Amino acid sequence: MEGASYQRFPTVKIREMKDDYCKFELRDTDASMANALRRVMIAEVPTIAIDLVEIETNSSVLNDEFIAHRLGLIPLKSERAMSMRFSRDCDACDGDGQCEFCSVEFHLRARCIDEQTLEVTSKDLYSSDHTVVPVDFSQASGVESNEQRGIIIVKLRKGQELRLRAIARKGIGKDHAKWSPAATVTFMYEPEIHINEEMMDKLSLEEKKSWVASSPSKVFDINPDTQQVLIVDPEAYAYDEEVIKKAEAMGKPGLVEIYAKEDSFIFTVESTGAIKASQLLLNAIEILKQKLDAVRLSEDTVEADDQFGELGVHMRGG
Amino acid sequence: MIEVKEEMVEVKEEPVHYSPQELQRPDSRDLQALRELFKPHIESFDYFIEKGLQIMLDNIDPVVVDDPSTGQKLRISFGRGDLEDPRKDRRQPLYPYECRQAKISYSGQFMVEVSFQYNNGPAIREKFKAGQLPIMLMSKLCHLRNADPQTLIHYKEEASEMGGYFILNGYERVVRLLILPKRNYPTSSMRNSFRERSEGYSDTAVVIRCVREDQSAVTVKLYYLRSGTARIGFWIGGREYLLPVGVVLKALIDTTDHEIYSCLTCCYDEKYEGAKGAVGTQLLGERAKIILDEVQYLGLLTRAQCLEHIGEHFKPVMPGMESEGNLAAGEAMLKKYIFVHLNHTHDKFNLLIFMLQKLFSLVDQTSLPDNTDSLQNQEVLVPGHLITIFLKEKLQEWLSKAKGVLQEELIKKNNFNLGSLGDVKKIMERNPLSNVGSAIETLLKTGNLATQSGLDLQQRAGFTVQAERLNYLRFLSHFRAVHRGAAFAGLRTTSVRKLLPESWGFLCPVHTPDGSPCGLLNHMACTCRITSFFDAKGHVRNFLSVQRSLINLLIGGGMIPSSPELVRAGPPQVVSVLLDGCIVGSLPAEKVAKVVAKLRELKVANKPTIPYDLEVGYVPLTLGGTYPGLYLFTSPSRFVRPVKNLALSSENGHGVEFIGPFEQAHMEIRCPDGGDGGRTTTAPATHEEIHPTWILSVVANLTPWSDHNQSPRNMYQCQMGKQTMGFSSQALRFRADQKLYHLQTPQSPIIRTSAYEKYGIDEYPLGTNAIVAVLSYTGYDMEDAMILNKSAVDRGMFHGQIYQTETIDLTEQSGNRREQSKKIFRRSKLDNHKYTGRPVDSLIDTDGLPYVGQTINPDEPYCSIYDAVTNSTKVLKLKGSEPAFVDYVAVDGKKPLQKVNIRFRKTRNPIIGDKFSSRHGQKGVCSQLWPDVDMPFSGVTGMRPDLIINPHAFPSRMTIGMLLESVAAKGGSLEGKFKDATPFADLVKKADGSDKKSLVDDLGSVLLSKGFNYHGLEVLYSGVYGTELTCEIFIGPVYYQRLRHMVSDKFQVRSTGIVDQVTRQPIKGRKHGGGIRFGEMERDAMLAHGASYLLHDRLHTCSDYHIADVCSECGSILTTTFVQHPRPQVHDNRELPPAKPPKKVTCHACKNSKGMETVAMPYVFRYLAAELASMNIKMKLQLSNGAEA
Repeated sequence: MEGASYQRFPTVKIREMKDDYCKFELRDTDASMANALRRVMIAEVPTIAIDLVEIETNSSVLNDEFIAHRLGLIPLKSERAMSMRFSRDCDACDGDGQCEFCSVEFHLRARCIDEQTLEVTSKDLYSSDHTVVPVDFSQASGVESNEQRGIIIVKLRKGQELRLRAIARKGIGKDHAKWSPAATVTFMYEPEIHINEEMMDKLSLEEKKSWVASSPSKVFDINPDTQQVLIVDPEAYAYDEEVIKKAEAMGKPGLVEIYAKEDSFIFTVESTGAIKASQLLLNAIEILKQKLDAVRLSEDTVEADDQFGELGVHMRGG
Repeated sequence: MIEVKEEMVEVKEEPVHYSPQELQRPDSRDLQALRELFKPHIESFDYFIEKGLQIMLDNIDPVVVDDPSTGQKLRISFGRGDLEDPRKDRRQPLYPYECRQAKISYSGQFMVEVSFQYNNGPAIREKFKAGQLPIMLMSKLCHLRNADPQTLIHYKEEASEMGGYFILNGYERVVRLLILPKRNYPTSSMRNSFRERSEGYSDTAVVIRCVREDQSAVTVKLYYLRSGTARIGFWIGGREYLLPVGVVLKALIDTTDHEIYSCLTCCYDEKYEGAKGAVGTQLLGERAKIILDEVQYLGLLTRAQCLEHIGEHFKPVMPGMESEGNLAAGEAMLKKYIFVHLNHTHDKFNLLIFMLQKLFSLVDQTSLPDNTDSLQNQEVLVPGHLITIFLKEKLQEWLSKAKGVLQEELIKKNNFNLGSLGDVKKIMERNPLSNVGSAIETLLKTGNLATQSGLDLQQRAGFTVQAERLNYLRFLSHFRAVHRGAAFAGLRTTSVRKLLPESWGFLCPVHTPDGSPCGLLNHMACTCRITSFFDAKGHVRNFLSVQRSLINLLIGGGMIPSSPELVRAGPPQVVSVLLDGCIVGSLPAEKVAKVVAKLRELKVANKPTIPYDLEVGYVPLTLGGTYPGLYLFTSPSRFVRPVKNLALSSENGHGVEFIGPFEQAHMEIRCPDGGDGGRTTTAPATHEEIHPTWILSVVANLTPWSDHNQSPRNMYQCQMGKQTMGFSSQALRFRADQKLYHLQTPQSPIIRTSAYEKYGIDEYPLGTNAIVAVLSYTGYDMEDAMILNKSAVDRGMFHGQIYQTETIDLTEQSGNRREQSKKIFRRSKLDNHKYTGRPVDSLIDTDGLPYVGQTINPDEPYCSIYDAVTNSTKVLKLKGSEPAFVDYVAVDGKKPLQKVNIRFRKTRNPIIGDKFSSRHGQKGVCSQLWPDVDMPFSGVTGMRPDLIINPHAFPSRMTIGMLLESVAAKGGSLEGKFKDATPFADLVKKADGSDKKSLVDDLGSVLLSKGFNYHGLEVLYSGVYGTELTCEIFIGPVYYQRLRHMVSDKFQVRSTGIVDQVTRQPIKGRKHGGGIRFGEMERDAMLAHGASYLLHDRLHTCSDYHIADVCSECGSILTTTFVQHPRPQVHDNRELPPAKPPKKVTCHACKNSKGMETVAMPYVFRYLAAELASMNIKMKLQLSNGAEA
């Protein structure tokens, strides 16, 4: 196809959206695009996480590294992350990560003074920036506990003390999992299910029932009135081919045909709470664009024009 | 709660205050099952403290010192022994924690009364200090005894501290349980080595290991001679002596030849010849005649004559018998060395007759030899007994040495008066009694038995091992391990290593290491116990009354007692009844079964008269089988295990009977699966196993569904379980072990066996439930490699630490005790910047010790010591190649400070090359930390695996248990429930009699109900391409262990470095920065690849490259030397020095420098030339140009 453009215009349709959860359809594109989006969401959307811990006093049962590691894994509200600088390219502080452009300082002071065991949690972390604070799950989880205390860091008993200063920095999940904003990002191909109604009608009710039951997920059901097999939830189908195998085992191959639509995907995004799931998607697209820009603008690409010809032009938006 | 007032060791960190409320633990778990595992050790030591020590002291022979000039006699003997609990300076109690920290021994003062008696006058008792005797933890003298978990925590111990070990110089050491021949039971054996004893000996003998009341043993062998007679062999002071059996028979009791003849031949009756159980043959009479003729030939007719004969020959080898008459010496010999477990000569006579009959029956092949390798004829050496017998010998030795020095002094005669007790004591002080205590300590410290006589034991070393706390399983296994004996390790035959059916239920068939100790180092099954001197209520048993009531019971059952001698018959009419090696009588054959049943009934009833662990070894009458008899054992240190007695269980409710390996071989025990195991109606099952898993050791019991695995895999798991990095100790911050491995965030397994609950393994978890995908992905999982998810590791999976403690003792360093105050911990103010990198004062505090929490890099100083003598400061630098954190510093509370413990913490997070394993013997090495986004993911759940292993790990290894674990754990985690994976669960008859479903159906249906694939498969998408993988992938959580083998401890690199002085080749050894040998086989591989230049590089350029000067005229490389130019005299400093003359090489031999050539060669070649020259061989090199050749 000489001169044909590969350009397509993908569409996104949001189905469900909560702060930390998002489900949407991505259509008119291919797996490479969908997967790139997934990979970027997991590994390359920046967030802020504690990266440097200076321990003043630690007489708890956990050792310093352990506490530092636990602090690092606490998700922090990272709306600011996109506009922040990576401390490695921060000019203001020579990259030592101590300035307001690239870092946020936290303090933690806890000392147990009574017999009751003291639980030091993410709520005890005091941030120098009110926009970057530990994620609060108390509303989201809906747990009606009298005192929702955040993420536990360490437990102290009488006489034990923990005092530290922590610096949070911008980073991406590729470097360390603590910077990953996504708990889970997954997609599946949208299935296309065709029941051979003619064959299905010939089945007895018992056979229909056993066939419907053969799918571990609830994809099909039987209409109690008409006793017809219905597709209840095609997206519950996990491509396990259990129903096809069952049909073959029943001696009715071709009873159902299921195809994966190569160009439409159903995405599920769960956020750690660092950024909203919807924002995560937007940020991911932004980063993907930046990456493509980087490719387009790099000198290598211009030089490679001879090699790639049309494709090179296409990559630069031609 | 006891207050620790004066703490020996202070931790530099801020002390933690414990309040009683805080110490309240929510679960006061029942630790009984766990405690049972350590009992053999503790009970034996308890007995030693309570009674064994005194009995032993009473059994020590007194010595008599004679003053020939005054005729005065001094009799020295031991009186009461007194062992105290561990104390500091005899005041404050000393706690185990303090011993571990201060690197001292947990031992108590041992005092012995020595009584002196002049000429049968009144005994004068004097207390002597016999040194410090190590005290076993949790024994009756330990301060931790009976402490509840809270108190234990208060004493800075584990909440579930079990004791059973000793602390010596701060290290915990366990006495190894060793297999010994069963005491007081005559075993018949055939060994070729018997032939070599002397001329005329056959390979047949009956051996009995007789054990005295004080646990010391003497083995007596009865050899069969080809001439038809027998010799009795026994050991005195490390030598075997042999006597004709007739002499001993006659010397034992006043008897006639006719009586001996009829005793010996009583087991032969023509009527029963060839009948079932008949052991005697016609030849018996002939042999009896030969035995008697032998005595006659020696001219010994009466008992007195025999005793004189024995006394005459043995007086020289028996200490303290010099002044006695021959008759007394003979009697003493029989008393001390022949059948020492019996007190009466009649009993000894009867036993000797019995042994002769057994010997002849073996010779005539009417009975089989006993297998000495079988557990049936074995018992175990427990710590208390070992210490008792060793202590006895040391005390006896001291006594005879004391006699020696006194007598020496008497001969010297310088103002020494035997009559003065003060003088005597002063002389005796030359050989202080306190050496005895240190001898015991050395035994436990090194495991070496320093003895003259050998104590009737087969080995001299390896009696103790260090109780490593690598993880809880390893620690626990030390107490359950039973070693066959070091003597068998060198044996080339494999018969001793075989797993014999006799050990069923006592020794675990799975838990033995592979490799050299395979089959020699076994582990006791989890319910196997060792009998002790204590009854079920914890009181010391009165064996005399037990034996008396047993005899009464037997007589009631129809036994004819052996004294007075009423019946002379043998099998099959009557069978002999042996009670702990004493012939108590004979039972008519038809009555035995009834008596046995009665005994078992009383055993189960747990009456005080009949011990619950009595072994009723009834060897029935067979045609040429084991020699028949009813052998009863009440002795300690036997193996026992519980089974259900079917006859008694219905009425009694429980009916649990403890049986030993000797009786087990002749019992009918069925499996609890409801079947009869293919038994015939003639021999129905009388007993039933309680649970099939009880044949396994504790560690083997932890493998889930081990019944679905190939058996070697379970063995591997037992090994790897003990090498796992786990939660090693709950009192971690109070420990000063040399090396401790610690897993940061361990988990409790989802799939668990009942043993996890029973033994509280969750207190010390050792793994992580990792999501494991079984697929071949990227190729980095080939050949047992595995891919870890980098993000999972980032989040803390398998993170761990190593804790290493350095103990610095300045008194030790100075060597001399008097100079101890010359060295102190102090930071030097002067050489602050002597070390590259950070300044010393950022690492070391003014007290010369490091800051707690500070990171110290390799080669940085962590401790500074000032030496007042040399006025210099020395620093200790961190060894190794990785940075460490100072975890804590503990100091000895004494002033000036001389002893400190510095504990370092090194983080060990997973890296490529670390080793991991599942619980099914499936180990693998991490080959990649793969990015999360590149891992395959599930379209439905979005899950990425933590770990990928290759499917090829399964077909040949057949670890189905692991597959089941994955499926079950997936279901379990979906349901939020732990799953039971006790092996053989479906083989146990269900209480409700319900029919069991197949396990897979059970697990699969859970998955189905949660919308997952029945078989645990899932559709995964490639993380790189986003496309569906071509097949469904088996994925689910599997409990993975991190093994202690880590690359950080093992990697070896070198570019240049230290070379060997002689050969100039790189040295070996990782520690010294050496190289790895590039050997002959590696060379072959290079040659096969045609990579000869690489070979040249490895073996020459990078090794001992050397350019030698060769004299081409004489062909020598050794005679060439540099010419020493006389140093030009410097006249004027302002002038430039003259140009250096060119180096000139000449040949010593040729006296000129013509024909000098330089040749590159390995330096070893020059060395070879030098070595050859030393043997007067001249090596000549012929040089030629490559082109000319």
